[in-house]
Amino acid sequence: MQQLNPSEISEIIKKRIDNLDVTSQAQNEGTVVSVFDGIVRIHGLADVMYGEMIEFEGGKYGLALNLERDSVGAVILGDYKTIAEGQTAKCTGRILEVPVGEALLGRVVDALGTPIDGKGPLNAEKTAPVERVAPGVISRQGVDQPLETGYKSVDSMVPVGRGQRELIIGDRQTGKSSMAIDAIINQKGTGVKCVYVAIGQKQSSIANVVRKLEEHGAMEHTIIVAAGASDPASMLYLSPYSGCAMGEYFLDKGEDALIVYDDLTKQAWAYRQISLLLKRPPGREAYPGDVFYLHSRLLERACRVNPIYVERESGVKGQTGSLTALPIIETQGGDVSAFVPTNVISITDGQIFLETSLFNAGVRPAMNAGISVSRVGGAAQTKIIKKLGGGIRLALAQYRELAAFAQFASDLDDATRAQLEFGQRVTELMKQKQYAPMSTAEMGLSIFAANEGFLDDVEVSKIGDFEAALLSYANSEFAELMAKINVKGDYSKDIAAGLKELVEKFKATQAW
Amino acid sequence: MAELTTLARPYAKAAFAEAVEQNALVQWSDMLSIATEFAADDTLAQVLVHPSLTAEQQATALTDLCGDKLNQSGKNFLMILGENKRLTLLPQIVEAFEDLKAAQEHAIDVTVISAFELTDAQQETLSLALKNKLQCDVRLTGEVDHSLVGGAIIRAGDLVIDGSVRGKLAKLAEAMDT
Repeated sequence: MQQLNPSEISEIIKKRIDNLDVTSQAQNEGTVVSVFDGIVRIHGLADVMYGEMIEFEGGKYGLALNLERDSVGAVILGDYKTIAEGQTAKCTGRILEVPVGEALLGRVVDALGTPIDGKGPLNAEKTAPVERVAPGVISRQGVDQPLETGYKSVDSMVPVGRGQRELIIGDRQTGKSSMAIDAIINQKGTGVKCVYVAIGQKQSSIANVVRKLEEHGAMEHTIIVAAGASDPASMLYLSPYSGCAMGEYFLDKGEDALIVYDDLTKQAWAYRQISLLLKRPPGREAYPGDVFYLHSRLLERACRVNPIYVERESGVKGQTGSLTALPIIETQGGDVSAFVPTNVISITDGQIFLETSLFNAGVRPAMNAGISVSRVGGAAQTKIIKKLGGGIRLALAQYRELAAFAQFASDLDDATRAQLEFGQRVTELMKQKQYAPMSTAEMGLSIFAANEGFLDDVEVSKIGDFEAALLSYANSEFAELMAKINVKGDYSKDIAAGLKELVEKFKATQAW
Repeated sequence: MAELTTLARPYAKAAFAEAVEQNALVQWSDMLSIATEFAADDTLAQVLVHPSLTAEQQATALTDLCGDKLNQSGKNFLMILGENKRLTLLPQIVEAFEDLKAAQEHAIDVTVISAFELTDAQQETLSLALKNKLQCDVRLTGEVDHSLVGGAIIRAGDLVIDGSVRGKLAKLAEAMDT
């Protein structure tokens, strides 16, 4: 016997028939002239608009991208095997839309918002166009709330604020995705909704990310938009915009959201493929002329908006909304001066450089503190990290300079040696394991210990153990103090005294 | 096809301008359609693309066939097409020419595909309604397609109004599917 689908219940069918609009409307029609590599050329369609959805026979859709004098060039969204020369193509008068809303949290969807995780239909009540103009200057508000990634090195030296765009850039296998995923895990319990857009990744990697997020209880606040390596270029090109539309839903509602684009290099490749097939003239590195706009219009949509905007969009009063973007760019052989990396560096509000040499030297996260910057995050840092973290950056900068210099010197004076040793310890302290994000208080405590010289008598190789023991001691014996710091992130004389007492007691009583 | 239209456009425009100047639109239209009909013939089509024949020979073959149906300017037009190896573009040129002619005359060709033969009164009502909607004279041609089940599809260039039962059923099927 054939199985009955849940959607075949008479009530649902009746409702659908009721809602069906069968009034005949004037439509623009054209004929498919050629189909190749996911690109169709259509004759006719005189009234088609740029970016409009085009309907093909068999319920397939395309996106009009080239409007020429006698033909229209379009990309097909999804499989194109059923589309043949001579078929009719219709204008729909609509821009591509994806489902948005809370119903998507915890789900894995493709670039069109269709669920691909086998957990049934979405039940999303709203849809939003994938392309939208970013909020203008009037609607914006300054970035002044931190978005904690849970990494000591990032939060102390290149802080990210809610509504900021911070680029994560580095070669392959330098821990870019891990950093972004840890940032998502760290948003657990903060109310920040996350969107992870996987562009051109292996299906196995995507499955891995989903599993890791589930393991750490981070899937409940996360939407995954997946356009895998085997998906058509049109889906890879679209997926960041779809993900952004899903994130903007929360922005409009006066909530905070985080979106990770992993990675935009692959999106640029997909767009290059589409553009070359559409016969647009190639420019530098064969990218089309508008590859800058491709990324700038996407990243401009990540921002912090003021309560007036939020009220206008969703009726929620007195709330600011933000969409923080962590785009990822993969470089080839550390070449950040290639076309796409320079573009995205110039668009974003700062970048985190991850380096292979550091990664291989065991410094993980492999962030190069010297050239990583955050242009707006400083204003958003928690007080305690801002106060304590300032010394870290300086110590590391001086250490790097001295370390290079000291290689030639056999005899060093005491001050230099002290600085070198401090630098070594800070470098060691900045190492952090994957899937182990730290709270503000934990970070503050670690950095406090380094700043106040409590690490000076700890062997460099023991720093990691020392820190682990210190943190577990603090969390069990000084839970109150830690909780107090976590709530407000303030730094006062009382807190400094409390921290000092904590570390002194730890060193006096505990082993590591 | 799209590219061919692009290539054909300048010829059609030139022919049209010439026709307007001579005040001989209908004559030009006839000349072009006759030449196109001949050119569509299999044997002649082979001649028109034959590599061992010169452009002049190809054009002459066509003009000779048309005989006195062509006036001097018509012959010249075909010679130019031959010289530029564009004789195979004639169907597209005719199409573009007819479009230009229709635009000049403020008229549009409309095909009505209906499930059943339309009565004269129905045709009258339709043309009047379409005339109001499209703001130009309507030249109605009727076609019958029983597979529409009921209703009709109106086709005016790119514009299609699907009022057929088949179209509605397709819409229903799609709505049930999603």
